[in-house]
Amino acid sequence: MMDHIRGPWTIAVYTWREGMRKKTLIGFLILSILVIFGSSFMTAFMTQTTVGDAQTDIEAKLIKDICVTAISIFGVLITIFISASVVPNEVENKVVYTVLSKPVRRFEYLIGKFLGVQLIVIINLVLMGALFFIALYLKQRIMPTLLLWSIFLTYFEFLIVSAFTFAVSCASTSSVLPTIAGLFIYITGNMTEYLNDVYVRAGQTGQWLDAMVGKVAYVLYQVLPNLQNFSLRNQILYLQPNDPPRDVLIPNLIVYGLVYALAGYLIAYWVFRRKEL
Amino acid sequence: MKRPSNIIFACLLVVALTLGAIQGCHIRRLRQSETFYRWILAEATQYRLFPDFNAQPADVEDKAMMDRPLFQEILDVAEKVLPEQNATDDKGNPLKRLIAVTSDESKDRIIWDLARGSALAKQRGDFLKYLGQKKLSSVASEFDPNAVYGEQGANVGIGNIFFGFRKLAANFVWLQVDRYWHQGMLHRMVPLMKTCVALDPNFVDAYLVGAWHLAYNATAKMSDTPEPLKKYYPKYGARLGEKELYYYLAVDFLKDGIRKNPRNYKLYFDLGFSVYELKLKDYPNAVKYLSEAIRHRHDRWVPRQLCIALELNGQYQEALAGWEDYLRKFPDNTTAPRFIPREKALIKEMEAEKAAERARNAKDPAEAEAARAETERLRGEAVKMWQDLAGGGQEEDPFAVGRIMRMKAQKLIEEQRYFEAIAVLQNAWSKSASFATEALNMIIDVKLKAGIPLSVSEKKAVMRREEAEKYKNAPPEATSSEGK
Repeated sequence: MMDHIRGPWTIAVYTWREGMRKKTLIGFLILSILVIFGSSFMTAFMTQTTVGDAQTDIEAKLIKDICVTAISIFGVLITIFISASVVPNEVENKVVYTVLSKPVRRFEYLIGKFLGVQLIVIINLVLMGALFFIALYLKQRIMPTLLLWSIFLTYFEFLIVSAFTFAVSCASTSSVLPTIAGLFIYITGNMTEYLNDVYVRAGQTGQWLDAMVGKVAYVLYQVLPNLQNFSLRNQILYLQPNDPPRDVLIPNLIVYGLVYALAGYLIAYWVFRRKEL
Repeated sequence: MKRPSNIIFACLLVVALTLGAIQGCHIRRLRQSETFYRWILAEATQYRLFPDFNAQPADVEDKAMMDRPLFQEILDVAEKVLPEQNATDDKGNPLKRLIAVTSDESKDRIIWDLARGSALAKQRGDFLKYLGQKKLSSVASEFDPNAVYGEQGANVGIGNIFFGFRKLAANFVWLQVDRYWHQGMLHRMVPLMKTCVALDPNFVDAYLVGAWHLAYNATAKMSDTPEPLKKYYPKYGARLGEKELYYYLAVDFLKDGIRKNPRNYKLYFDLGFSVYELKLKDYPNAVKYLSEAIRHRHDRWVPRQLCIALELNGQYQEALAGWEDYLRKFPDNTTAPRFIPREKALIKEMEAEKAAERARNAKDPAEAEAARAETERLRGEAVKMWQDLAGGGQEEDPFAVGRIMRMKAQKLIEEQRYFEAIAVLQNAWSKSASFATEALNMIIDVKLKAGIPLSVSEKKAVMRREEAEKYKNAPPEATSSEGK
């Protein structure tokens, strides 16, 4: 039993070490750090003569909005690049043959790789979140605890993107296609609501194709993950401490993220187990 | 071997996607209920606080707005569903159950359960329908009504980078507002401030600073408008000039913020304190909004300002109770121990005034004599209290000094020793800033009563007073032309 855990864990740690050495990721991380710290300097454009507390609050809001955006953009880029590259790179370098020739099953190998990707994403998020936390603390001198929930929810959004990008990467031999697919997944995931619009507006011409498009849009709207649900992560920073909807939504969003991550992983394994290696 | 395994995978995948779809539907319903819940809070706050709530909102597109009928339906359903609340409004009238529950922030969970429960299922459906049809525009953002009550669509995800990330854009618009302010271009600031809160209706500080600019900075270099140049504004029920109109624009701006952020105390505080109390000297409204501010999670100084507003509004008993309560909560506070004896002295003064009034109105000489004796006794006690306050501390309290001199002058006026009363009042004018305006008015009144010639500035003050009185009693139609 321990071997079934130790094997994937070793692969995960190895993937993490390898991933953290990637120049692209380090580049994104440095850029995000620059933006997060830069947000504090953005407030320097405001002349310091507006009413005291409101001035501080506006500066804090600027920092929050810029940092949440920076974490969203750079975080998802890191997630997509790493999820898209771990498996194709190993296939390209032929390391996968060496690993799979050992007593490691494809299932365990893939779990290890997926966990490794998650470790990288989590560590990057923790780093960016910590900087955000410090920037906000220096401005407001209070512990922004709701920020932790915001970062936590951001992770579950990335988990869905990561799982589906990982699935595409398992079918690919290079990391270019899965990277493009990952960006596509993130953008379409944020625009799922438009499918509902298509469904609502469909059928107006009375032609069967129009009606059919509406039905297809409706099915896709129901089945595809809607990443806009995670917009609560922005709202959370401005809500009152005792907000009842937030308390109900957070656990539901975590379950949502886990279910779609499982679906993504199942697709990944389904593809990878049939792959000729 | 391959086929059944593929089927199992396909089944597992279908199960996972179905679970995801079910969870997605559940979250969507929760998000819709959340939007509905926030709208109920906003509407209930307007119903309770804004007297013109029942007025049909102005609509540029000439559509029938559904805010009011829908909320009325919700009120009726809530009356049957919610338990009795035993809450009353300022005038002692019983509050509707939903209104009573929404006025207490700690009961928000009850409203949330109601908003997502089956009791309001029909109204929730109607609400979503009207929201989609933009028939709830009385408090909605012109860009997207959903952005006011729900967060979806208003965030800064990649999708919105392509379609306008509003929250971030609002910040950059605000930077431009700040730049204009320092360049003195107020005429450019006002529309941008409105754009800013239209982009991000939850940008509370934009409302606060915007209202401050309107009420204070915009009017800083303006003189008070002479009465004949003022116009009647039916919306505000007052005659206003260019300068005074800015105060009401600040009121409107903050009220708009309250509609969109009903749980934020800062908006109520600024409306009550900065605008109504300091600028408009409208103390009943100052008390109203400061009382609302302390219903919500607030900072430590908010109850102090409420007590001061209560005192200015002549509610000395309530102010005293407020200060005593404040001292119980914050025993280290140094302000409350100064104000508690002050309120007690004001109450004593008020009792003395009531006794004097009884003495003036009494028909029975014995009763009148008894009331006069009581007046003397109460005045003596009040003077003693003020003297303790005036000399009790390390520094002389100018407010107490002013009150002592006021009482002294009043006694002299009653004894018809007008020249001495004027001398006391002139002395008080220089010694007590808080009493200065009242002292000047009292001097004019004494001079008019005693037939003593007025100075040039006093004559001008009398003219201004008469002019204000003339227009105050004039019908709005006779004095208004375009102030709509």
